[in-house]
Amino acid sequence: MKKVSQELDDQLLLYLDGQLNSAAREGFELALKQNDALRQRLAQLQEMETSMKKNIVEEPSKNFTQLVMQKLDHYQAPSSSFTMFNGILLLVGILLLTGIATVLVSSGVFDQATGTIDLNTIQLPKQYIQRSLPSISIDGKLVINVIILLNLGLGWVVFDRTILKPLFRRRMQMLR
Amino acid sequence: MTNDPDQVIIEQLLAGDRGVYSVLVNKYKSYAFTIAQKILQNKPEAEEAAQDAFIKAYHHLAGFNSEAKFSTWLYRIVFNTAISYRRKNRYQFQSIENTVIKYDQDADGNLEKVDKKKYLNQAMLKLSEADRTALTLFYLDEFSLEEIAEITGMQANTAKVRIHRARQRLADELKTILSEEALTL
Repeated sequence: MKKVSQELDDQLLLYLDGQLNSAAREGFELALKQNDALRQRLAQLQEMETSMKKNIVEEPSKNFTQLVMQKLDHYQAPSSSFTMFNGILLLVGILLLTGIATVLVSSGVFDQATGTIDLNTIQLPKQYIQRSLPSISIDGKLVINVIILLNLGLGWVVFDRTILKPLFRRRMQMLR
Repeated sequence: MTNDPDQVIIEQLLAGDRGVYSVLVNKYKSYAFTIAQKILQNKPEAEEAAQDAFIKAYHHLAGFNSEAKFSTWLYRIVFNTAISYRRKNRYQFQSIENTVIKYDQDADGNLEKVDKKKYLNQAMLKLSEADRTALTLFYLDEFSLEEIAEITGMQANTAKVRIHRARQRLADELKTILSEEALTL
């Protein structure tokens, strides 16, 4: 028996699902009358569909519900190392670090911490670089300020997760 | 005031009446077990995964968005739980060739029906896990494509194409199995 083309096979499923418009359906039914392989494939698909619909649902054991109800109190939430205590410790650490960095920056410790990286000093194959490369200047004070800002962002996330979210969750539960 | 019976039960549960959860478990246990079974291909394991999913759902009910459909949310938990069970027990994987498919004589005395189910199971085993799950949800006939996509974490279009191709593959596999069976008779 000749194999049905992918295009016709796709149309067969649309036909089975009733997704062809009337003109397309009539045309397809005509093709079905003239094509034995197509009719056979339709029968296969129909057989599969009927079997699947009849046999798809599987039943669990009779005491399933009873077991679930018994186990309700034995639930262990997935353990996370991010406990409230750890969160508060982390938050204190972040704030301490940010405070020290801020004091150091404001007292001018990093004012002289500047430098430049001259890219021309890096030994690279000459054939790839025809022009002279720029120098990158680094401002130590700016770098520390960026680190302080990142720390503050991180501190806010930790504060939200450790204190705000649990607090609001508890309040919502009390309101219910 | 909501008319959704599931939502009424959820509100009772959140108010502290935990006994009513059995109504939800009874209502959804068959589909939940079916989804877990199609992923895990092992009845005791599927039963445990489905039970676990119900327990997880119960403990996370406070976070359930009441605008959403409870069944879709629950089946997503079942799907994820079954997948994590599968990952944990991957070393216990049995190849299709070595799988013994038991006749479930108690379930139905009709041999033809048992045979059909056996061949269908064999054909389903030849498909990928993702195809099996998508097909199961499709033939459970309760979910829209969007819901299937939400449960399985796929895009709706991907789910549509996957189901379409999987139906064709399943018919092909079933045909091959039946031809081989006919040859051995």
